[in-house]
Amino acid sequence: MSIAEKNLALFLLGPGNALIGESPYPTITDEHDIIIRIAYVGVCGSDVSFWTKGGIGQKVDPSRPLIMGHEASGTVHEIGSAVSSLKVGDNVAIEPGLPCRRCLPCKGGRYNLCSQMLFAADPPFSHGTLRKYFKLAEDFCYKLPQFLSLEEGVLVEPLAVAVHVCRLAEIGLGQDVVVFGSGTIGLLCAVVSKSMGAQKIIAADVNASRLEFSRQFADTGIYKPETNDTSEDIARKIKKIHNLSKGADTVLEATGIATCIGAGIHVLKKGGTFIQAGLGKPEIQFPITTLSEKEMTMKGSFRYGAGDYELALHLLESKKVPSLSQLISSVSAFENTTEAWERTRKGAGIKNLIRGPQG
Amino acid sequence: MAKADSNLSFILNKPHDVTFEERPKPKIQSPHDVLVAINYTGICGSDVHYWEEGRIGSFILKAPMVLGHESAGTIVEVGSAVKSVKVGDRIALEPGTPCRRCTPCLAGHYNLCPEMRFAASPPIDGTLAGYYTSPEDFCYKLPEHVSLQEGALIEPLAVAVHIVKQAKIKPGQSVVVMGAGPVGLLCCAVAKAFGASTVVSVDIQPARLEFAAAYAATHTFTPERVSAEENAARLLKESGLEGGADAVIDASGAEPSIQTSIHVVRRGGVYVQGGMGKTDITFPIMELCIKEVTAKGSFRYGSGDYKLAVELVATGKVNVKKLITGTVRFEEAEQAFKDVKGGKGIKMLIAGPNEK
Repeated sequence: MSIAEKNLALFLLGPGNALIGESPYPTITDEHDIIIRIAYVGVCGSDVSFWTKGGIGQKVDPSRPLIMGHEASGTVHEIGSAVSSLKVGDNVAIEPGLPCRRCLPCKGGRYNLCSQMLFAADPPFSHGTLRKYFKLAEDFCYKLPQFLSLEEGVLVEPLAVAVHVCRLAEIGLGQDVVVFGSGTIGLLCAVVSKSMGAQKIIAADVNASRLEFSRQFADTGIYKPETNDTSEDIARKIKKIHNLSKGADTVLEATGIATCIGAGIHVLKKGGTFIQAGLGKPEIQFPITTLSEKEMTMKGSFRYGAGDYELALHLLESKKVPSLSQLISSVSAFENTTEAWERTRKGAGIKNLIRGPQG
Repeated sequence: MAKADSNLSFILNKPHDVTFEERPKPKIQSPHDVLVAINYTGICGSDVHYWEEGRIGSFILKAPMVLGHESAGTIVEVGSAVKSVKVGDRIALEPGTPCRRCTPCLAGHYNLCPEMRFAASPPIDGTLAGYYTSPEDFCYKLPEHVSLQEGALIEPLAVAVHIVKQAKIKPGQSVVVMGAGPVGLLCCAVAKAFGASTVVSVDIQPARLEFAAAYAATHTFTPERVSAEENAARLLKESGLEGGADAVIDASGAEPSIQTSIHVVRRGGVYVQGGMGKTDITFPIMELCIKEVTAKGSFRYGSGDYKLAVELVATGKVNVKKLITGTVRFEEAEQAFKDVKGGKGIKMLIAGPNEK
């Protein structure tokens, strides 16, 4: 039986306009539902877009305030009658999107492409995880292993993104991989690639301290492009410095920046695979003839799908990826959410967390 | 004689013990469900098997169960959230509802769902009744020019689509299909639709092979009581397939056919087990190893198979009308089972209890 409780939430009304308000306590409507007491919520680049511009694509409207947040961990608070894999008190990582389960992509195993997907913090009405209590279906909650803290539990979401990227790339033993971007996603793509047997992993970023962190955390080679480097320059130099005479087997693009995308196409070997994970400008200049001539395969990667969270947790449990606690740079109180967003906006830290409401 | 709006149901109590019973009309349980008035139902080898043995593998009949699963019907009621179909729509019915939440379901293999509720697999009631409820996404609208009788053939056609997809048949390839029953014949037709240029139909019954030749096969073959290797060698010679067939499909379940299949398939080729016969057989494992054959099972149908089956019929790429031997009244259902058991015709349809 559910006891209605106070449920503080963080609403975004428009660019630069956020406030804390009350949200109804979620009710269990399906026997497979679970209500979670949110412990921590991570800040993602997309949150910064919402904070500064009001959204990506569809924007938040003051007449329809939206609860933000999608990377989260928490503790099971209440369960539906058919829930068998979790019990009250369990610590969980959250997969924050509920697909319809009935459309062709859902039944075809690609639920991340569901057209009716209810994803946390999606305008206009799909509210996010920055609240005390959050409801989702049992199969989208994953019990955290004993040794993993609730703070680290938040990182399972971006790790699942990286797992999805690397599985699409079909990274195999002995491959050479170049990753563009050493933010959270780029770093996690590097460690997941390593766990899948990649040989040389080169991280490229314009920020020297991020590259240094990548070298230490993900054991990658590094490359910092120079200010006036063209895409071809970047590719040529990476190949030279890191002895990739034929080019990289795989490129994972985690910046969305045109120059990096171009560099990725040029650094790839003939027949290689390029995965676009980073989201930047909707349209860019692109070296299309190189794509043809190299007969490369290019795929988009969007969020995560069947088996990604499971594999992410396996990688953590079996220590095939290093502890992700090193990526956590700060923890802000719920009341200071916008400070956490500002921190990320300015590029301070790698992953900034927000504590769930305490009251 | 069934009254109008009847939910007369054809029930298996135990092997060879069937009765007709007026059951309460089913009610829609979910806003995503529809109520279907059943127009026609085909009979499958599995239905006959339950009627004879009361079990298939670990599925055992423990209580009376309505038979039938290959059906087409008309929507008579829709739940409040239903968008893709409306009352009056004629549909082909996909008779298995998966849980949608388990790992196979989420990964796109809902036919492998351990909690699958499949019509006429004990204990789930089948479709040989007046009415049946179904989630809307398992009802496929039939175009105007496709009849409800053809709609009842969509189920075995979807089985064939699933098998042929498992075989990964590409344009220009050669395919050998063991067994010229309805599924084997439909595999030939679907393989052709997928672009296979040589389609060999194999059966021990001359009448079936004659039909196969006129229907969808480019070649036919009658095996003899010799070794699998000898049958395979002669088949390949007579079909002009030196080097072996790209793909071999077994739609018979017969041990000698399965053995011959492995000798027929080329190096690096694909073998798909669609037919169900003995549980354990003697299998030429060395041949599979040396030739690096890929062997796959095929079970029912999954994502996209029914949709493709309807399109194949709608565009005329596969003709299912030719497989319909006859239609009997609902009250004659038991006789129809006996006829199918006796090997009469290809596909017998049973009209729903409310059909005039």
